[in-house]
Amino acid sequence: MARVDIQRLTKIFPPPLKGGDPVTAIGDISFEIDGNVFVSIVGPSGCGKSTLLNILSGVETPTSGTVAVTEAGRPARLGYVFQDARLLPWRTVLDNMLYVRDDDGTDKAARYLEMVGLSHTHDMFPGQLSGGMQQRVGIARAFSVEPDLLLMDEPFSHLDAITARSLRDHLQELWTATRKTVLFVTHDVVEAVQLSDRIIVLAPGGRIFDDITIDLPHPRRAADPKVATQQAEILGRFEEMQPASASD
Amino acid sequence: MTAAPVAFPEAPPAPGRIRTWLASPIGAQVTAIVVFVALWQLLTLIAPRVPGPVDVTQFLYTEITGGSHGGIITGEFWEHFAVTLRWFSLGLLIGFVGGLLVGVAIGSSGLARSLLNDTVLVLLTMPAFVWAFLTTMWFGISWRAPVLTVAFVAFPFVAINVAHGARAITPELKNMSNAFEVGRWKQFRHLILPAVAGYIFAGLRFAIIVGWNAVLLSEWFSGQAGVGFRTRYWFDANRYRGFLGWVIVFIIFIVVLDRVVLNRLQARAFRWRDPIEVDMELAEIEQVGA
Amino acid sequence: MTSVAEAVSEGQDQANVLRTAAGSRRRRYLAVVLGWLFFLGVWWALSALLDSEARLPSPPRVVEEMRTIFEGDFWTQFWASVIRVLTGFFAAVLIGTPLGFVMGRSKYWGNFLQAPVVVAGSIPGLTYAVMAFVVFGISFWGPVAVVGLIAMPYVAINVAEGVRGVDRRLIDMSIAYGRSESQVFRHVTVPSVLPFIFAGVRLSFSLAWKVGTLTEVFGASKGIGFQIRRNYQLFNMPAVIAWVLLFVGFMLLLERFVLVRIERRLFRWRQWEQHQ
Repeated sequence: MARVDIQRLTKIFPPPLKGGDPVTAIGDISFEIDGNVFVSIVGPSGCGKSTLLNILSGVETPTSGTVAVTEAGRPARLGYVFQDARLLPWRTVLDNMLYVRDDDGTDKAARYLEMVGLSHTHDMFPGQLSGGMQQRVGIARAFSVEPDLLLMDEPFSHLDAITARSLRDHLQELWTATRKTVLFVTHDVVEAVQLSDRIIVLAPGGRIFDDITIDLPHPRRAADPKVATQQAEILGRFEEMQPASASD
Repeated sequence: MTAAPVAFPEAPPAPGRIRTWLASPIGAQVTAIVVFVALWQLLTLIAPRVPGPVDVTQFLYTEITGGSHGGIITGEFWEHFAVTLRWFSLGLLIGFVGGLLVGVAIGSSGLARSLLNDTVLVLLTMPAFVWAFLTTMWFGISWRAPVLTVAFVAFPFVAINVAHGARAITPELKNMSNAFEVGRWKQFRHLILPAVAGYIFAGLRFAIIVGWNAVLLSEWFSGQAGVGFRTRYWFDANRYRGFLGWVIVFIIFIVVLDRVVLNRLQARAFRWRDPIEVDMELAEIEQVGA
Repeated sequence: MTSVAEAVSEGQDQANVLRTAAGSRRRRYLAVVLGWLFFLGVWWALSALLDSEARLPSPPRVVEEMRTIFEGDFWTQFWASVIRVLTGFFAAVLIGTPLGFVMGRSKYWGNFLQAPVVVAGSIPGLTYAVMAFVVFGISFWGPVAVVGLIAMPYVAINVAEGVRGVDRRLIDMSIAYGRSESQVFRHVTVPSVLPFIFAGVRLSFSLAWKVGTLTEVFGASKGIGFQIRRNYQLFNMPAVIAWVLLFVGFMLLLERFVLVRIERRLFRWRQWEQHQ
């Protein structure tokens, strides 16, 4: 159960064109996450969601402000699920699961592979799997390192609606079984409401627009009317936000 | 809300103009050439029998301007060069025309492909020196030897590339232009010619490079006249500065011709495609035999 | 699939697809056979027309000569050439790969080495062969050096290409999961670049072997190139043609079968890749 502590985080990129303006991807945001919660970061394109994850995972460094990702005082162990599966195409599925481990945990890897229903693929190459199956492996891989904090960057946005729905269910199964701290980035509000305990809304320019708590039991079925009501209400608030902020 | 203006760390002072030029692509290449010549000069200190760049340049100057190399008559530089160019061009012409005909046949007819493709492959795999030997065995000391060596060596390269180009005109494109009832001449000009022109040119370029190699080989072995013959003359006389001088002559000729002239022309012919992809595809064609 | 009639017709469709697949395979074999028959036929006819063994010996005459060669020391000669070429390619990979890495990683060195690499590709083979003879004399190392020098630019350029094309996303993924630099190198960079090393060898294969054989013509005491020169000097046309055809046949077999098979085994995972 990880603790994420972000204080006055800012990330500015140098201007893409000579003589242009620098790009503020994240503008002075602060928030904390504590406990085994599923938190979504929602916002339109260009609001800094991916940059935030990059900073949390160490791929990017902040321009100013502090970021602390800890687990009982020590640096947290991270798991990461990307938009594309990012499996090594030249290694088998099982080898991909083992690549991200520091130990030789074949049985652990096999167990998580089974939890997403892909035990039979352990000896296959990623090229032999469909996009949805590859992403499932990606999710199993992330869970299998038993991370303190799980980062997910729009993991279902490249999949068709049917596959995405099925994967959301797999994700909820895994999450309710393991109860990790999850930071889930998406542009899809409806998806965020279905999955999360808390939604942080970012606006273009990288500032926090809203911080919403969802108090419904897990796992949530998409067809559940209570879930649908919440989705409608929050969608409404989004419609307010769109004309309020400058269009990008 | 805009954040307080952030000062980026001061950019380091811009490097001097010389350093910038040195780091540029052209600067790097020039440096490479300078380094090479320097290394060559150093080599002559270790192996005194190897003539250095200065010696070779002196030799070439004398050879080209028609002086005398300490008593040995100069080699009528331009006459030999002209002879080689004549044989080279004639052989190239024969090989190119033959390759064009066979290439078009292979590219457009399945039957022609079955019959001829493997033969072309065999010819493609034959080393150039074999043709030099065969033509000398057939024709002895005659102009026919170098000319036909060039022709035989160039022919399969042209054929293979033209065949590939002819096949690039997909039936879909033909159907499309038929559907729009494009006139036959227009079809030829805008559909067939541009698609094939690039490959024909590529075939010609390969033919020039291998053909040049072939004429040198043939002249070396059949010994009558020309650049290859003169190179051998100095080699047999153990006068390595003369040998290296002529070697440099023929290297410079083909490198300049290829990199400065042909490269540009090929880029124009293929300008609707990515140049790196083109180079790789052409190398594959030659390797896999279309 | 409700009725028997539908099941039967689907079965027939499947059978048809299989039949056409087998048919096209058969047609391909037929085409190859036809090609070779045509080649032999034209050769035989020409040789009959010229009716001179010194001009163009007939196929049976050449086959007879091949038999003599096989009963003689064919394998000694053959292996001599093969070992030299293999060593040369090995050297080319050994030197060309790190060179390619440097060229791929650094813009400056990429440009610096571009010039000599490009020039090396345009130098006529005669130059290499004679220079090798001058430097090495009659030796094993002449052809090795030549094969290495010719193949090396191809390997370097392809490796540079491969290094530049390593999938950045896989590297990011490795960083996110806390993989060390050496792990990234071993599991991401090397497998990405391996196919390019192979491509460099494959693309230069034919040319390097040809020039290597030419080098044997000048500076060797055994090997295929040496044998061709020896018989040329003896004016033994059937033997020249026999050795040449043996050489060509071997090269074609190697390229078409061995190289392709090795590539397929090494890169099994690529056959399912949709995109590059």
